[in-house]
Amino acid sequence: MLDELLTKDTIQIYKQPDLSWQEAIRKAAQPLIENGSIGPEYVNAMIEIANEQGPYFNIGDHIALAHARPEAGSHKISLSLLKTTHDVNLINEDHPVSLWFVLAATDSQSHLEVIQGLMQLLTDNDKLQKLLTATDVTEIQKVINEDIKENKS
Amino acid sequence: MKILAVCQSGLGSSFMVQMNIQQVLKDENVQEEITVDHSDVGSATADAADYFFVESTLEGALSGIPDEKIVPLKSLIDKDEIKTHINGVLDKENIVHE
Repeated sequence: MLDELLTKDTIQIYKQPDLSWQEAIRKAAQPLIENGSIGPEYVNAMIEIANEQGPYFNIGDHIALAHARPEAGSHKISLSLLKTTHDVNLINEDHPVSLWFVLAATDSQSHLEVIQGLMQLLTDNDKLQKLLTATDVTEIQKVINEDIKENKS
Repeated sequence: MKILAVCQSGLGSSFMVQMNIQQVLKDENVQEEITVDHSDVGSATADAADYFFVESTLEGALSGIPDEKIVPLKSLIDKDEIKTHINGVLDKENIVHE
Protein backbone atom coordinates (compact mmCIF):
# COMPACT_ATOMS: atom_id res chain seq x y z
CA MET A 1 0.00 0.00 0.00
CA LEU A 2 2.67 2.54 1.00
CA ASP A 3 4.69 1.82 -2.11
CA GLU A 4 1.63 2.48 -4.27
CA LEU A 5 1.08 5.88 -2.69
CA LEU A 6 4.65 6.97 -2.05
CA THR A 7 6.26 6.93 -5.48
CA LYS A 8 8.89 8.94 -7.31
CA ASP A 9 6.10 11.39 -8.15
CA THR A 10 4.88 11.92 -4.58
CA ILE A 11 8.22 11.85 -2.72
CA GLN A 12 10.30 15.02 -2.87
CA ILE A 13 13.57 16.18 -1.37
CA TYR A 14 14.23 19.82 -0.61
CA LYS A 15 17.78 20.89 0.14
CA GLN A 16 17.55 24.64 0.72
CA PRO A 17 17.27 26.04 4.26
CA ASP A 18 14.68 28.68 3.36
CA LEU A 19 11.25 27.07 3.90
CA SER A 20 8.63 28.14 6.41
CA TRP A 21 6.40 25.40 7.82
CA GLN A 22 3.50 26.67 5.71
CA GLU A 23 5.64 26.43 2.58
CA ALA A 24 6.81 22.97 3.59
CA ILE A 25 3.21 21.75 3.83
CA ARG A 26 2.30 23.41 0.53
CA LYS A 27 5.30 21.91 -1.17
CA ALA A 28 4.69 18.46 0.33
CA ALA A 29 1.07 18.56 -0.86
CA GLN A 30 1.79 19.84 -4.38
CA PRO A 31 2.08 16.39 -6.05
CA LEU A 32 -1.33 15.45 -4.64
CA ILE A 33 -2.90 18.55 -6.14
CA GLU A 34 -1.24 17.76 -9.45
CA ASN A 35 -2.52 14.17 -9.54
CA GLY A 36 -6.01 15.25 -8.53
CA SER A 37 -6.09 13.59 -5.10
CA ILE A 38 -6.77 16.83 -3.25
CA GLY A 39 -7.90 20.34 -4.07
CA PRO A 40 -5.93 23.45 -3.04
CA GLU A 41 -8.56 24.11 -0.35
CA TYR A 42 -7.41 20.95 1.45
CA VAL A 43 -3.93 22.46 1.77
CA ASN A 44 -5.33 25.68 3.17
CA ALA A 45 -7.39 23.67 5.66
CA MET A 46 -4.29 21.82 6.94
CA ILE A 47 -2.43 25.09 7.47
CA GLU A 48 -5.42 26.71 9.11
CA ILE A 49 -5.85 23.79 11.53
CA ALA A 50 -2.18 23.98 12.54
CA ASN A 51 -2.50 27.75 13.01
CA GLU A 52 -5.51 27.31 15.23
CA GLN A 53 -4.73 24.12 17.07
CA GLY A 54 -0.96 24.16 17.25
CA PRO A 55 1.62 21.63 16.10
CA TYR A 56 -0.42 18.56 17.00
CA PHE A 57 0.49 16.75 13.80
CA ASN A 58 4.11 16.59 14.87
CA ILE A 59 3.51 12.92 15.58
CA GLY A 60 7.05 11.98 16.51
CA ASP A 61 10.55 13.38 16.61
CA HIS A 62 11.13 15.22 13.29
CA ILE A 63 7.95 13.81 11.75
CA ALA A 64 4.84 15.71 10.71
CA LEU A 65 1.72 14.00 9.42
CA ALA A 66 -0.35 16.85 8.04
CA HIS A 67 -3.99 16.16 7.30
CA ALA A 68 -7.42 17.74 7.45
CA ARG A 69 -10.95 16.40 7.43
CA PRO A 70 -11.96 14.59 4.22
CA GLU A 71 -14.68 17.16 3.52
CA ALA A 72 -12.03 19.88 3.37
CA GLY A 73 -11.27 18.81 -0.19
CA SER A 74 -9.80 15.34 -0.46
CA HIS A 75 -10.88 13.26 -3.45
CA LYS A 76 -9.06 10.02 -2.80
CA ILE A 77 -6.81 8.26 -0.32
CA SER A 78 -3.38 9.65 -0.87
CA LEU A 79 -0.06 10.23 0.80
CA SER A 80 2.96 12.30 -0.10
CA LEU A 81 6.31 12.96 1.54
CA LEU A 82 8.64 15.92 1.52
CA LYS A 83 12.04 15.39 3.08
CA THR A 84 13.78 18.64 3.99
CA THR A 85 17.49 18.18 4.53
CA HIS A 86 17.31 21.16 6.91
CA ASP A 87 14.92 21.14 9.85
CA VAL A 88 11.89 23.40 9.51
CA ASN A 89 10.19 24.51 12.73
CA LEU A 90 6.51 23.61 12.83
CA ILE A 91 4.92 26.62 14.59
CA ASN A 92 7.84 27.00 17.02
CA GLU A 93 11.36 25.74 17.73
CA ASP A 94 10.10 22.97 20.01
CA HIS A 95 8.89 21.18 16.90
CA PRO A 96 11.66 20.82 14.32
CA VAL A 97 10.54 18.65 11.41
CA SER A 98 12.33 17.13 8.43
CA LEU A 99 9.85 14.46 7.28
CA TRP A 100 6.63 16.08 6.07
CA PHE A 101 3.89 13.59 5.27
CA VAL A 102 0.60 14.79 3.82
CA LEU A 103 -2.33 12.40 4.21
CA ALA A 104 -5.73 12.68 2.60
CA ALA A 105 -8.60 10.32 3.36
CA THR A 106 -12.10 10.07 1.96
CA ASP A 107 -13.85 8.80 5.09
CA SER A 108 -12.82 7.75 8.56
CA GLN A 109 -12.12 4.10 7.63
CA SER A 110 -10.49 3.93 4.21
CA HIS A 111 -7.10 5.28 5.19
CA LEU A 112 -6.55 3.04 8.20
CA GLU A 113 -4.49 0.60 6.17
CA VAL A 114 -2.24 3.45 5.07
CA ILE A 115 -1.78 4.57 8.67
CA GLN A 116 -0.97 1.00 9.68
CA GLY A 117 1.70 0.79 7.02
CA LEU A 118 3.11 4.14 7.96
CA MET A 119 3.24 3.20 11.63
CA GLN A 120 5.04 -0.01 10.89
CA LEU A 121 7.65 1.96 8.97
CA LEU A 122 8.07 4.78 11.48
CA THR A 123 8.24 2.64 14.61
CA ASP A 124 11.16 0.74 13.11
CA ASN A 125 14.08 2.77 14.40
CA ASP A 126 16.62 1.63 11.81
CA LYS A 127 14.32 2.55 8.97
CA LEU A 128 13.35 5.83 10.56
CA GLN A 129 17.02 6.76 10.87
CA LYS A 130 17.52 5.94 7.20
CA LEU A 131 14.60 8.17 6.26
CA LEU A 132 15.89 10.99 8.44
CA THR A 133 19.31 10.87 6.80
CA ALA A 134 18.17 10.18 3.23
CA THR A 135 19.21 12.73 0.65
CA ASP A 136 17.52 11.41 -2.48
CA VAL A 137 14.19 9.97 -3.53
CA THR A 138 15.54 6.55 -4.52
CA GLU A 139 16.98 6.06 -1.04
CA ILE A 140 13.59 6.73 0.51
CA GLN A 141 11.83 4.39 -1.91
CA LYS A 142 14.33 1.69 -1.06
CA VAL A 143 13.54 1.93 2.66
CA ILE A 144 9.80 1.76 1.98
CA ASN A 145 10.11 -1.23 -0.32
CA GLU A 146 12.36 -3.06 2.15
CA ASP A 147 9.77 -2.51 4.87
CA ILE A 148 6.97 -3.88 2.73
CA LYS A 149 8.94 -6.94 1.72
CA GLU A 150 9.86 -7.77 5.32
CA ASN A 151 6.33 -7.47 6.58
CA LYS A 152 4.86 -9.58 3.82
CA SER A 153 7.05 -12.54 4.45
CA MET B 1 -12.06 -0.48 31.28
CA LYS B 2 -11.95 1.74 28.23
CA ILE B 3 -9.09 3.76 26.78
CA LEU B 4 -9.74 6.39 24.15
CA ALA B 5 -7.00 7.74 21.89
CA VAL B 6 -7.83 11.29 20.93
CA CYS B 7 -6.53 13.59 18.21
CA GLN B 8 -7.66 16.78 16.56
CA SER B 9 -9.48 15.22 13.64
CA GLY B 10 -10.07 11.72 14.98
CA LEU B 11 -8.74 10.31 11.73
CA GLY B 12 -5.09 9.53 11.67
CA SER B 13 -2.98 10.14 14.71
CA SER B 14 -5.50 8.82 17.21
CA PHE B 15 -5.72 5.57 15.28
CA MET B 16 -1.93 5.27 15.42
CA VAL B 17 -2.07 5.64 19.18
CA GLN B 18 -4.91 3.10 19.39
CA MET B 19 -2.83 0.57 17.44
CA ASN B 20 0.17 1.15 19.67
CA ILE B 21 -1.90 0.79 22.84
CA GLN B 22 -3.38 -2.47 21.57
CA GLN B 23 0.08 -3.74 20.71
CA VAL B 24 1.38 -2.89 24.19
CA LEU B 25 -1.60 -4.60 25.88
CA LYS B 26 -0.85 -7.68 23.81
CA ASP B 27 2.87 -7.55 24.59
CA GLU B 28 2.09 -7.16 28.28
CA ASN B 29 -0.15 -10.20 28.08
CA VAL B 30 -3.12 -8.41 29.63
CA GLN B 31 -6.05 -10.79 30.01
CA GLU B 32 -8.55 -8.33 31.36
CA GLU B 33 -11.04 -6.94 28.85
CA ILE B 34 -9.87 -3.46 27.84
CA THR B 35 -11.61 -1.59 25.04
CA VAL B 36 -9.47 0.74 22.96
CA ASP B 37 -10.96 3.18 20.48
CA HIS B 38 -10.12 6.51 18.86
CA SER B 39 -12.01 9.74 18.35
CA ASP B 40 -11.65 13.45 17.68
CA VAL B 41 -11.16 15.96 20.45
CA GLY B 42 -14.66 17.42 20.05
CA SER B 43 -16.50 14.17 20.69
CA ALA B 44 -14.36 13.08 23.65
CA THR B 45 -16.55 13.62 26.70
CA ALA B 46 -15.62 12.67 30.26
CA ASP B 47 -17.92 9.62 30.31
CA ALA B 48 -16.61 8.28 26.97
CA ALA B 49 -13.68 6.43 28.56
CA ASP B 50 -11.66 5.83 31.70
CA TYR B 51 -8.44 7.16 30.22
CA PHE B 52 -7.75 9.55 27.38
CA PHE B 53 -4.43 9.32 25.53
CA VAL B 54 -3.71 12.56 23.69
CA GLU B 55 -0.84 14.34 21.94
CA SER B 56 0.47 16.79 24.55
CA THR B 57 -0.24 20.01 22.61
CA LEU B 58 -3.92 19.05 22.48
CA GLU B 59 -4.22 18.45 26.21
CA GLY B 60 -5.82 21.85 26.75
CA ALA B 61 -8.55 21.09 24.22
CA LEU B 62 -9.90 18.30 26.44
CA SER B 63 -11.81 20.63 28.69
CA GLY B 64 -14.29 19.02 31.04
CA ILE B 65 -12.23 15.87 31.42
CA PRO B 66 -10.55 15.44 34.82
CA ASP B 67 -6.75 15.71 34.68
CA GLU B 68 -6.22 12.29 36.27
CA LYS B 69 -7.97 10.68 33.29
CA ILE B 70 -5.74 12.39 30.72
CA VAL B 71 -2.46 10.88 29.57
CA PRO B 72 -0.46 13.39 27.47
CA LEU B 73 1.98 11.93 24.91
CA LYS B 74 5.11 13.62 23.59
CA SER B 75 5.38 11.26 20.65
CA LEU B 76 2.58 9.23 19.10
CA ILE B 77 4.87 6.69 17.51
CA ASP B 78 7.23 6.01 20.39
CA LYS B 79 6.13 2.59 21.64
CA ASP B 80 8.33 2.86 24.73
CA GLU B 81 6.60 6.05 25.83
CA ILE B 82 3.17 4.50 25.32
CA LYS B 83 4.26 1.36 27.13
CA THR B 84 5.38 3.37 30.16
CA HIS B 85 2.02 5.14 30.31
CA ILE B 86 0.01 1.95 29.79
CA ASN B 87 1.90 0.17 32.54
CA GLY B 88 1.22 3.14 34.80
CA VAL B 89 -2.50 2.87 34.08
CA LEU B 90 -2.50 -0.92 34.57
CA ASP B 91 -0.73 -0.61 37.92
CA LYS B 92 -3.12 2.08 39.05
CA GLU B 93 -6.10 -0.10 38.14
CA ASN B 94 -4.52 -3.22 39.67
CA ILE B 95 -4.63 -5.06 36.37
CA VAL B 96 -2.22 -7.94 36.02
CA HIS B 97 0.43 -7.60 33.31
CA GLU B 98 3.96 -8.76 32.59
